[in-house]
Amino acid sequence: MGSTSILIVHPDRKTQRTVQRILGTTGYRVDIADDLDQGTRLLAHLSPVLVVVDGAMAGRALMALFDAAKGRGTTACMTLLGMQAAAQIPALLDLGAVTNLLVHPMPVLGEELTITTQKLIRGDLFGVEKYLLWGTDLHETVLVRSSQRAELVGELAERVRARGQSARVASMAMLVADELISNAVHNAPVDAAGAHYRKDLPRDRELPLDERHRVRLRWGCDARYLAIEVTDWFGSLDQNAILAALARSDVRQAGSGAGMGLALTYRSCDQLVFNLAPGKRSEIVALIDVRYPPSERSAVSSYNVFVERAAVS
Amino acid sequence: MTITAHGDALALAGAIDETAALPGLLARAAGGRLALDLAGITFINSLGVRDWIRMQAAAQQAGIAVELQRVSEPIVHQLNMIVATRGAARVTSFFAPYACDRCGREESLLIDAIAHREGLIRLDPPAMQCPECAAQMAFNDFPERYFSFLSG
Repeated sequence: MGSTSILIVHPDRKTQRTVQRILGTTGYRVDIADDLDQGTRLLAHLSPVLVVVDGAMAGRALMALFDAAKGRGTTACMTLLGMQAAAQIPALLDLGAVTNLLVHPMPVLGEELTITTQKLIRGDLFGVEKYLLWGTDLHETVLVRSSQRAELVGELAERVRARGQSARVASMAMLVADELISNAVHNAPVDAAGAHYRKDLPRDRELPLDERHRVRLRWGCDARYLAIEVTDWFGSLDQNAILAALARSDVRQAGSGAGMGLALTYRSCDQLVFNLAPGKRSEIVALIDVRYPPSERSAVSSYNVFVERAAVS
Repeated sequence: MTITAHGDALALAGAIDETAALPGLLARAAGGRLALDLAGITFINSLGVRDWIRMQAAAQQAGIAVELQRVSEPIVHQLNMIVATRGAARVTSFFAPYACDRCGREESLLIDAIAHREGLIRLDPPAMQCPECAAQMAFNDFPERYFSFLSG
């Protein structure tokens, strides 16, 4: 539809203005609605490239707004959630339509919002560099055998500690890297019929990772974020599976099974980003905020699921 | 993961992952009791969590009392995130994050869960002294989040 507008639906005028100022930097026209009904009515006349909604309004009316947006050709619905409204996350995940959830302090984090919006608008999704300051040194390793996971995870922790980060940050980095690599080695590979042929193999069995099965780990730290990126070249992760796995992070009784690795990863970082090119590659970026002590950090995390535009139905 | 005898406990160190084989530890229980010193555990992944839950379930079935000593922060986080990991285990001491306002040092310090039981129930962690500048250190997480594993 060639849209050049963004729609914000938020009841708080101060937040409206903050978000409008941030999103205005894109050059797109920004329309504003105070509530979901007004937003849905506006959508009868607009075809925004992006809809940004207050996540505290989760419910049937929010789903109606998402449906209306989809009907107008909008492919991205971003949801903002204040830290105090964290209890809304399971309800939002249950909707199965919230592809981008930014949990934020007040005022809204300009950097998170800008990066997310630019990725959605430009369709330029891949690369951990987008989340790190210019000049940040990135370490890259391509795994050629599955047993490298343990070595790399241990080495990552040592390097993180050597940069002055706490044992807690190092431990979170280990968990995140371990789970993401394990996911890329064992869960990502699919055959022509879509069967995940390595998912049930013992994790401690050595697997050679040829060109098709290679897994790439990249990480860097810019003193704001420790960012860990893991890529596979199958592109078998899909949005519904991801949202279902993230929803599991709230099932406090269940301790294992499919998707638990992603759920634990989500709970162990501050922002989890999925960049998907179906059938080509999946890239997962985990951001651990190293600026603040645990007592000043949000108990809940942001997530973003980006799907390459050409592949969006 | 390595296992060494440490007093009347087994000291586990390293990573709890797919190679840990935790249920096998139950064979080393003595007098219906298995004490695990977890100070050296640096991380536990999702497969380690699964193994841990199996060990706890098998211990309950066999009537073995599991006692967790000097529980490291990564394990505390899992106990808080996934209730099933707690099983019926008794935590006697654990590490917790503290920070010094004066010199900025951050340290993982040991809390005796039995001696400080009353305070911990009130979400009031014990005062600690900075090992570097001797100033009083403050607990460096949300008490309601970090101590939730003690509520059973």
